[in-house]
Amino acid sequence: MAPDLKSVQSLLYRLIVAPSGVTEGLREESDLSADGLGTIVRGDNRLSAIERLDIYAEMYFYRLLDCLKEDYPATVAVVGATNFHNLITGYLLAYPPSHPSVLFAGRYLANFLDSHPLREQWPFIADLARLERALIEVFHAADAPALSSEELRAIAPADWPMLELKTHPALQLLPTQWNVVNVAHAVEGGSDWEPPDRSSSQVLVWRKDCRCYYREIGGLELDLIRAITGGASVAALCERVAAVSLSEDPTGAFLELLERWLADSILIIPASA
Amino acid sequence: MNRADFPSLGFGVGLRRPHYTHILESKSVMDWFEVISENFMVDGGRPLEVLEGVRNRYPIVLHGVSLSIGSADPLDREYLSKLAALARRFEPAWISDHLCWTGVGGRNAHDLLPLPYTDEAVRHVASRVCQVQEMLGRRVLLENVSSYLTFQHSTLAEWEFLTAVAEESDCGILLDINNIFVSAFNHNFDAERYLEGVPVERVAQFHLAGYSDRGTYLLDTHDHPVSEPVWALYEKAVRRFGPIATLVEWDDHIPDFATLAGVADEARRRAASCGLIESRREAIGDGA
Repeated sequence: MAPDLKSVQSLLYRLIVAPSGVTEGLREESDLSADGLGTIVRGDNRLSAIERLDIYAEMYFYRLLDCLKEDYPATVAVVGATNFHNLITGYLLAYPPSHPSVLFAGRYLANFLDSHPLREQWPFIADLARLERALIEVFHAADAPALSSEELRAIAPADWPMLELKTHPALQLLPTQWNVVNVAHAVEGGSDWEPPDRSSSQVLVWRKDCRCYYREIGGLELDLIRAITGGASVAALCERVAAVSLSEDPTGAFLELLERWLADSILIIPASA
Repeated sequence: MNRADFPSLGFGVGLRRPHYTHILESKSVMDWFEVISENFMVDGGRPLEVLEGVRNRYPIVLHGVSLSIGSADPLDREYLSKLAALARRFEPAWISDHLCWTGVGGRNAHDLLPLPYTDEAVRHVASRVCQVQEMLGRRVLLENVSSYLTFQHSTLAEWEFLTAVAEESDCGILLDINNIFVSAFNHNFDAERYLEGVPVERVAQFHLAGYSDRGTYLLDTHDHPVSEPVWALYEKAVRRFGPIATLVEWDDHIPDFATLAGVADEARRRAASCGLIESRREAIGDGA
């Protein structure tokens, strides 16, 4: 009797993703008859059934490895090709792809690295992978028209106090334990990277004109970005500036930040504007 | 199926990232483009901006790799609604995917895995194609894949399976000439017999690509020029199926655009040598 479609596909899938190849994977298949895979897959004098399925097994791993190398260039640069290869072998076992788009294949790599032995040598590696993943997400995130200086100036002064600024939907604020921004910038620029310092910080990742950017932020700027994402009005922002700014000119400090955010296209037109 | 639903778009290439800038900044460079649907099922950013720019100037076709029409898993409704939304926004000439399965048990192997060629599989796939066509509100094309294994319990030849699925679901066929050649070598069947076994009225598009020779088998790598035997098979296909839309795929070690366009031009020349060529404008304009 012919095997049903689901059992055939389930078996082939298990063998294709088996980390040590089809032959090793078959050892785990206790339900398979003595004739083994040959009862399901045809072999011939050119290629056995196992060799034929091995073609798919190899393609599975190397296709995903190539995709993840593209997604995580700085992580590869730090740990090296061999370590990355072994990392992905383990990662795909722990987090086999389930999304229709291969863009999502690496979405859990930073989580996987959180408890991976590679952290002993490169304790910042999970943070770096998390930044690289954020760049992918920001690159593909929703669009929204950026707020320009002219549009901001066109808002009536009387409306300013209650105005709620909005950050771009693609923007991410990423908590990190290590200063991995410098590592990522070095790899991106093709220069040698230096081991980063340990310091809890926040990395702002954003998109402008379809390109992604990232930098560490802290102090007043971090406080205000958080307040903006929390829905604070301009009046509330000004109160925070007055309360926490060390500057002698808190208004000037706020306007300076505002100019930078507008130049970076990280604000969008508020609904009430 | 009415073949007029799938107008002959002429000669196109797959839209790939290294060529985005050239295509957007140049004047008319190609008759049409095929895009990988999943690469554009995103919320925003550069991919959609590029596709908008390309679509404003060229016909496009959405070509998927993760429909998994042959999977034993239920159809992925979320995937289909995203595909439908993409189609509403960009109005492709048509939508295609592969006659294969890409995963099971909620997992995705991101590969085009072969099906057993049985009556059971025909019924399974055809009923799913009907559901997909219902959801998308249009007929789709299914493409034959390159394969490296066949099943002991298969009772049909690959072309019989492809034809049966298309007939039962009333969908169209995207005939990949390179895939026929690769699978014919790998499974020792006659590629010309394959062509003869597929009904003319179902075939609405050709694919051309390059393969790698691994000694005991051919691998569909899309990283080489189209080989001479595949060109010869293409000419036979054009004589049988007529001057339908032809698309060159090149996905790895992607050459500069001029080289890729040269392959599309070679396809045009080969089709002309069969006495069946249409000029680009006629092909787009007459809708026949």
